Amino acid sequence: MKKRVLATLMSVSLVAALLVGCGDSGSTPASSSNDSSANATATSGDTSSADTATTDTATTDTATTGGDYKFEIIVKSYQSSYWQAAVTGVNQKAEELGVTVNCTGPNAESDIADQVNMLNNAINSAPNGIGLAACDQEACLDALQTAMDKGIPVVCFDSGIPSAPAGSVYATIATDNYAAGATAAENLYPALKDKIANASAPVRIGEVNQEATSESITSRGLGFIDKFIELATADGKTVAVIGNEYYVNNCKDKGDEASADVIIEVAVPAQTTVELCATEASVILNKADTIGMFGSNQVAAEGILTANENLDVLGTDPATSILAAGFDAGSVIKGAITSGKMFGAVTQSPLAMGQTTVEVLTKIANGETVSDVPTQGYWYDSTNMDDASIAPNLYD
Amino acid sequence: MGKSNVSNKSVISRLGGQKFIVLLVVIGLIIFFSAVSPDFRKYTTFMSILDYSYYIALMAIGVTFPLITGGVDLSIGTGLICYSLTGGYLIVQKGWPVGAGMAVALLLSIAIGLLNGVLVAIMNLPPFLATLCSCMITRGLGSIFSKNFGISWPTSGTPGSWFRNIFKITINGTKIPLGFLWVVLLVVLMAFVLNHTKIGRYTIAIGSNKEATILSGINVKFYHIMAYVISGFFAGLAAIAYSAVFSTVQPGTGAGFELEAIGGAIIGGVSASGGVGSVEGSLIGVFVICLLKTGLPYIGLQANWQQIITGLVLIGAVLVDIMKKKKEQK
Repeated sequence: MKKRVLATLMSVSLVAALLVGCGDSGSTPASSSNDSSANATATSGDTSSADTATTDTATTDTATTGGDYKFEIIVKSYQSSYWQAAVTGVNQKAEELGVTVNCTGPNAESDIADQVNMLNNAINSAPNGIGLAACDQEACLDALQTAMDKGIPVVCFDSGIPSAPAGSVYATIATDNYAAGATAAENLYPALKDKIANASAPVRIGEVNQEATSESITSRGLGFIDKFIELATADGKTVAVIGNEYYVNNCKDKGDEASADVIIEVAVPAQTTVELCATEASVILNKADTIGMFGSNQVAAEGILTANENLDVLGTDPATSILAAGFDAGSVIKGAITSGKMFGAVTQSPLAMGQTTVEVLTKIANGETVSDVPTQGYWYDSTNMDDASIAPNLYD
Repeated sequence: MGKSNVSNKSVISRLGGQKFIVLLVVIGLIIFFSAVSPDFRKYTTFMSILDYSYYIALMAIGVTFPLITGGVDLSIGTGLICYSLTGGYLIVQKGWPVGAGMAVALLLSIAIGLLNGVLVAIMNLPPFLATLCSCMITRGLGSIFSKNFGISWPTSGTPGSWFRNIFKITINGTKIPLGFLWVVLLVVLMAFVLNHTKIGRYTIAIGSNKEATILSGINVKFYHIMAYVISGFFAGLAAIAYSAVFSTVQPGTGAGFELEAIGGAIIGGVSASGGVGSVEGSLIGVFVICLLKTGLPYIGLQANWQQIITGLVLIGAVLVDIMKKKKEQK
């Protein structure tokens, strides 16, 4: 009997310990992000040079000094090195200005509820400001209202929240994603132009988007589609958009599949994982009439490359292969562009975005007025990867 | 005595029966998708199905053991990502040789398996709860070990990419799915372990009637722990397969992988209440899931429908299991 009681007690305490451990694991990004920033600045000399190159373009010239401020930064996830670069930028600037930042983010970009929870926790800790990269455009609205009621300024970065309560978001620091998506189309279309003009049957352009809920992904996807339609229509071709309903219904003109010269097929996997993106990409890459592909973020672009591992249909010569355009950087995408598997990609400037976010938050805390800061998307391919204006944005 | 022999025989034939039916389903699915989609019936598509199946198949081989004991192992999905991140971090960021990184990943997987086993067999935690906790722990650990960075194991063409050839080699421009050979060999090995060694026989005994097994004087705890260690180790192997097939391993992912492996095992005839199952059945079951996952997009179904259909197939498999049990009781 005694033994049994002891065993019960032990298992109860064990469960308790485990649950505490689990609870902690949710907030680990916070504590460890500080380590990682120290780590990143210590190990990578190139990022600090990148720092100087990009701040010129993205941030304003006023020297901002931080008081004893504490900011909460919430990223979309730590899934891609894109976010890691943004967090590095946040931590660099915080150190420079002498402010305290606490970075958190959900495990995956699809964990919308987790992120809302983190935002509420951040509001409860009463910081001097919050930097938010929202996973979902609608889910954060209530929390933003609360933040405004409590007088906590919020700055959105990476993704804007168009329907935010008036006055709650002080500034948005984001890539013009629609324009960035269009940049991919502007660079991919000329390479495919002759093939489209000479085709005797309809040709297909594939687009893989990891989801259809966030502003950044949907804007890029639609920016690419709309620009491609515009360019093809200008050359006297008709275009139809098929596949995922969100993109079909929100693009400029979904056209008619039966009569179109160019078909843009949009695929969205059930979850934001590489293998599901790869499966969706395989289906389109396998179609005989496919001539081009676009993956609208790192996960989607790597999904296309994973699918190509077996198919071997990607290349840079439109006569013999399918041309793929990606988005963001990372060692896999950069390697694929160097080796001629991927035609090119659009990169943003996450490092500068992170830095600007902290700078803008500090300005708000100092009582200065701030405005939106648009950051750019740049096209890069094997010819300009090493340019001084491009290389600093190509994080690993 | 004679009577139990008869019922044993019927158990075996019944098992063979379900495996056979599932194999027919696999063949039927291949024929169906090939007939509907010309793009599906390509060598490269089958290469992709095999490529994307290795990690699920390896997890399914392992998880068959805890399932047969009447338990479950929910930690294999997030565990896979955790082991891969840890090994990959050491290789990419710390410059360790690939072999050493792989060894660390496998050792960690055995450690987590051991933890699960101890929690279930010695501390008497319900397997669902114990492995749910280790699922959360591995999810957090992976992010900590990799310092929240996504890790790309050495990509093909770079030094250290030899490990990718374990699963796929190119001979005269044709890609050979070498990984499938290893999976089949491991299935043969583990089927032998399950049916012809003490570990396997006691695994089945624990699932059939734990009390009777304890009363017969067998050290149940050891064999019970071993079931979870096997499950953990195969999740470690799956981590290597995953790293070799996919480019970047992302912290925070992996939840849900275990359900595909468990689902595959149950479709393949592992009883949801333990005591019954086979390793080869689990492998065949995994291919039902993988074929649905890969095939449904080819017939133009949107992603969310793929999950619904996979769920429905699983319900069907569990219903078959329940009906068989009822029939047996009569």
